[in-house]
Amino acid sequence: MTEVYMPQTPEALWEMMDARPDAVLYAGGTDVLVHRRAGLIQPRCLICLERMQGWDAIQEEPEGVWIGALATHSRIAEHEGISKRIPVLVQAVSSIGSVQIRHMGTLGGNICTASPAGDSLPALTVLEAEVELARRGSVRRVPVEQFINGPGKTDRKAGEALSRIWVPWPKGPAISRYCKVGRRQAMACAVVSLAAMVSLTQDNRISEARLAWGSVGPRVVRDGRLEGALAGKPYNSRSFQAVFPLVEEAISPIDDIRASAAYRIAASKNLLLHVCGQGP
Amino acid sequence: MIVEFSLNGQAVREDVAPDMRAVDLLRERLGLSGTKEGCGSGECGACTILVDGHSRLSCLMLAAQLEGRNVITIEGLGTEKAPHTLQEAFTTHGAVQCGYCTPGMILSAADLLAAKPAPTRDDIRKGIAGNICRCTGYVNIVEAIYQASRSLRGEKP
Amino acid sequence: MLLKQPPSGIGVSAPRTDAMAKATGTEKYASDHYMENMLWAGVKRAGVPHGRIGSVDVSAANGLDGVFAVLTAKDVPGTNRQGITHKDQPVIAEDKVRCVADPVVLVIAETREALAEALSLISVDIEPLPLVLSPQQAMAQGAPLVHDRESNVLKHVVVRKGDAEAALAQCDVVVDFEYATPVQDHAFLETQNGLAWQESDGALTMVVSTQAPFRDRFEIGHALGLNPGRIRVQAPYMGGGFGGKDGATVQCLLALAALHSHGRPVKMWWSREESFIGGTTRHAATMRYRLGANRDGALQALTCRVDYDTGAYAHLGVEVMALGLEHATGPYRVAHTRLEGNCVYTNNVTAGAMRAFGVCQVAAGIEQAMDLLADKLGMDPLELRQKNALHRGDVNAVGVTMTHSTGIAACLDTVAGDAAWQGRRQWKQKAGPDVFRGVGVAAVFNAMGYGRGLSDAAVAKVRLSETGDFIIYSGVADMGQGNAAAYAQIACEVLCQENASVRVVQPDTAQGNPSGSSSAGRTTYTYGKALVHACREMARRLISRAAMALMVDDEREMALLPGRIRHLPTGREMPLSAVAPILHPDDRTCIHQFQMPVALDTVEGGNPFGIGFPHLLFSFAAHAAWVEVSRITGHVRVVDYLAATDGGRVLNPQNFDQQVHGAVAQGLGYALFEDPMPENGMFRAHDFSTYILPTAMDVPPIRSVALETDESSGPFGMKGIGEVGMNGPLPAVANAIADACGIRIPSAPLTAEKVLLAMVGTQSLQARK
Repeated sequence: MTEVYMPQTPEALWEMMDARPDAVLYAGGTDVLVHRRAGLIQPRCLICLERMQGWDAIQEEPEGVWIGALATHSRIAEHEGISKRIPVLVQAVSSIGSVQIRHMGTLGGNICTASPAGDSLPALTVLEAEVELARRGSVRRVPVEQFINGPGKTDRKAGEALSRIWVPWPKGPAISRYCKVGRRQAMACAVVSLAAMVSLTQDNRISEARLAWGSVGPRVVRDGRLEGALAGKPYNSRSFQAVFPLVEEAISPIDDIRASAAYRIAASKNLLLHVCGQGP
Repeated sequence: MIVEFSLNGQAVREDVAPDMRAVDLLRERLGLSGTKEGCGSGECGACTILVDGHSRLSCLMLAAQLEGRNVITIEGLGTEKAPHTLQEAFTTHGAVQCGYCTPGMILSAADLLAAKPAPTRDDIRKGIAGNICRCTGYVNIVEAIYQASRSLRGEKP
Repeated sequence: MLLKQPPSGIGVSAPRTDAMAKATGTEKYASDHYMENMLWAGVKRAGVPHGRIGSVDVSAANGLDGVFAVLTAKDVPGTNRQGITHKDQPVIAEDKVRCVADPVVLVIAETREALAEALSLISVDIEPLPLVLSPQQAMAQGAPLVHDRESNVLKHVVVRKGDAEAALAQCDVVVDFEYATPVQDHAFLETQNGLAWQESDGALTMVVSTQAPFRDRFEIGHALGLNPGRIRVQAPYMGGGFGGKDGATVQCLLALAALHSHGRPVKMWWSREESFIGGTTRHAATMRYRLGANRDGALQALTCRVDYDTGAYAHLGVEVMALGLEHATGPYRVAHTRLEGNCVYTNNVTAGAMRAFGVCQVAAGIEQAMDLLADKLGMDPLELRQKNALHRGDVNAVGVTMTHSTGIAACLDTVAGDAAWQGRRQWKQKAGPDVFRGVGVAAVFNAMGYGRGLSDAAVAKVRLSETGDFIIYSGVADMGQGNAAAYAQIACEVLCQENASVRVVQPDTAQGNPSGSSSAGRTTYTYGKALVHACREMARRLISRAAMALMVDDEREMALLPGRIRHLPTGREMPLSAVAPILHPDDRTCIHQFQMPVALDTVEGGNPFGIGFPHLLFSFAAHAAWVEVSRITGHVRVVDYLAATDGGRVLNPQNFDQQVHGAVAQGLGYALFEDPMPENGMFRAHDFSTYILPTAMDVPPIRSVALETDESSGPFGMKGIGEVGMNGPLPAVANAIADACGIRIPSAPLTAEKVLLAMVGTQSLQARK
């Protein structure tokens, strides 16, 4: 039998984590409980965060928005301010699982699961979001890109819990899209995904292109050289095709049960043309 | 541990192992076998229930998580003598074949109609995408939900 | 004299009588049965696809709190062999395992947690043996043998008509086509399960999710050395079956557990992951076709070789192959055929019965070969099919005369006349920049019933209750196809009663009568026809008895009406509730047996098939699929689908369409998504996150049109259509993809990956504007 605790305040949480350093934290359970059933983890103690007061709050500020780690995907998708100003995040979390999973799963959970295919991650990467890690007496902030180290691995230290996510508002208008390729039209794990935020100059040149691919490496792939190569170029399909070789260099997909590396490479390039508004 | 919650409008109090799954609490402890289990890993939707008005997967919820919640299972939505409009519509429009996905499907539909009282057929397909049906091809299910939504809005058939 | 039409007459789209109970969660499936003092049973499976069992250490499990009993092969009485026709499968493995799923230890425990823990503490030492993982490997010289036989070939057969090789040499046009179809899992939402207990007198009772309750008793009896007459099996509505609950799944293990549980009920319910490997699957197949025709398109000759991978145990493998070869030529006239098949043992997961078994593999072969032929002839693919379609009176391609209803031509004409078919060229031209559009067709058929060698019979039983209602004792389990509701509909029609007066009792071997399995498209036809006769006898008898009571000397003056019998000349009526008490209980019960007619032609080469070949009755369909192929991802999206089906007369249009929709959806899963990815005897995809089933966003609105022929041998002229719809989607979609972008993938499923890599391979995407 596994012990289950549901703290409501940070104090209670720190106390439980001190008492049970072996405890596994979970929020919606859509990853942790699945892994537990599959025998991938065998926790003797579970701490469910869903009752942590205020940890699901979404708070808009002039520079950006604080999204509580326990905010569910469906609440994020319904949030007016987020939908208007950072639609790439809404597109990403709306593509996760099913309605039921979106009512249960949380942004914090999606980040901490740190799956190479995690849908929120490419979006949070191009948004240059940060996670806030709380522990008794202190908090620290880490860019999402740095927080995730590898498949299933994060920089969360013992005694810490992911409490909030900071997403700065984009500086100006941008083409903002998340596109996911799955094996079917719904309930699909991303086989390749791409989040893009592209801002243009007055004369239709790319002033900044932020591009983050998912499911093509152990972590989300964002490549400075590739983005640099696009800066200043005219916004047309030729410009994106020209960086295809850099895409191939940047990504490192594997063959796995969902797709082959060859497919992921081909689809990654096509997605770039498609997501950036220029079809093949 | 003691868990107390509202189940189909009635107060429930049970002493359970905290890691007992909600689906097992409902089916085995409380004798409500209308909630089904198809996969145990959140992929098929057969175990769907409503918790505080939202559809959730009871195979991925632990009993402890039900504490203080308002839970509706298919039995609480309507009965054979007094069926909910959705249950009527599923019956009338041939949306039930083996019927194993049906309770979860109907509760997902209830969640959808609460959020979107006038869905298009595409909205419906998206809304039930988390419920696998192996028998119907979804054709009559979509139609049943569409007609139920019209009926609930007071439109004539 | 006009009688009021009952609310659910034949031909009326009446809602199913079981629907509301299912929609309100009150209908209890086998898995919904729990009992006081219940135990849980489960098995430790081999985990190795081929090997010799060394030591089995159950000591830790035995010592665990909550473990009731731990059983191995030595605890199995009887033969320890189960199987439908071939008794080749141990209930619990003895010295050898042939498949990863082979049970090695059976554990009975107080709780599911104790069961799981006990199973995890058992260690089985298996010395691996070399594997055979494909028919090709298994048939090679010197291949390791799966069973104690001379070879791994369970059955090899050649069926002939005329001289195909000679005829091919004379053909104006010949096409060659090779194809591979994958394993498919039934993926019923309710996995295999049951609950069993021993009564105080030692008899066994079992509530189980099964398609064959009456046969199960014999399979259990043979396996465990028990008297089948002392085994009672109850078969509630199943949460899906599709062939995967035909034949013992949990039954023998459960019976064994019940023999050791000191009278306590024992429940077994396979997890989803266990269901993938512990049950059966569709046979994977490889095929090679040669098809020859005259310049005008008339088919002249066909040769094919089809190899079916039956996995570790036979299940219905030979019958699958027999049915496949019977359908290998498609629903066409072909003068000369040579159809060769191998059904081969391997160390893969056992393949067995699955909806449209044997046929959807070959349908993919012949229907793509037909398109290749049409292309080579410069003919429209639909016209080529219309030209060669079987008509009533033709001799089919295995030599059976089509003496019964044969509606394929009407089905094809329906597709030809469809507005979207006629407008397909303009539709294709309007494709957006990101997609290719294409349309493909398939002509398919599927035999009904068991064929020769095995009596396809049913015994219907109807009783007038003490209170004047009618009870039908179904003999055929209902897995969702709606046969129970159809029986009620038939009874209401023949007895002239209203729905509320008729109820169907699901199969119970203690109450109903053997009526064959819920399979082979026969579940309404055979029992339904028997029921028609039983109800007619019931009507005659009730009228006769009422005549005695009302002192009427001419029974023709009496009519059986809803709830009453009426003397027409005088208007005197007697309610059925008053008729019932005057009858002896035996007199209130009517039983009638019906046997499906069989084909009487002699087929050359058909003898090796002891049972299951050939067939007399077929359902037919013509399908068309409109697809969009994504140039970005390779995804194939079916945006429209038309199925025109000949199922004889339609008893209930809503039921009819339900079957068509469901079969097409399952066929689309087979065509586009489903693949358990066998590797080294295991399945890489053995759960619902990796085995991809179509969701509501993956299945298009399916248009179903019924072409009514009159199958006079069937109840009210109907035929079974549960299977035929499965056969169309793969070839129709494959043909549509070829139409869209000129690509033909040599294997199913037609995944986005295969399509995109094929597109990238054939041309640069950037170059194509």
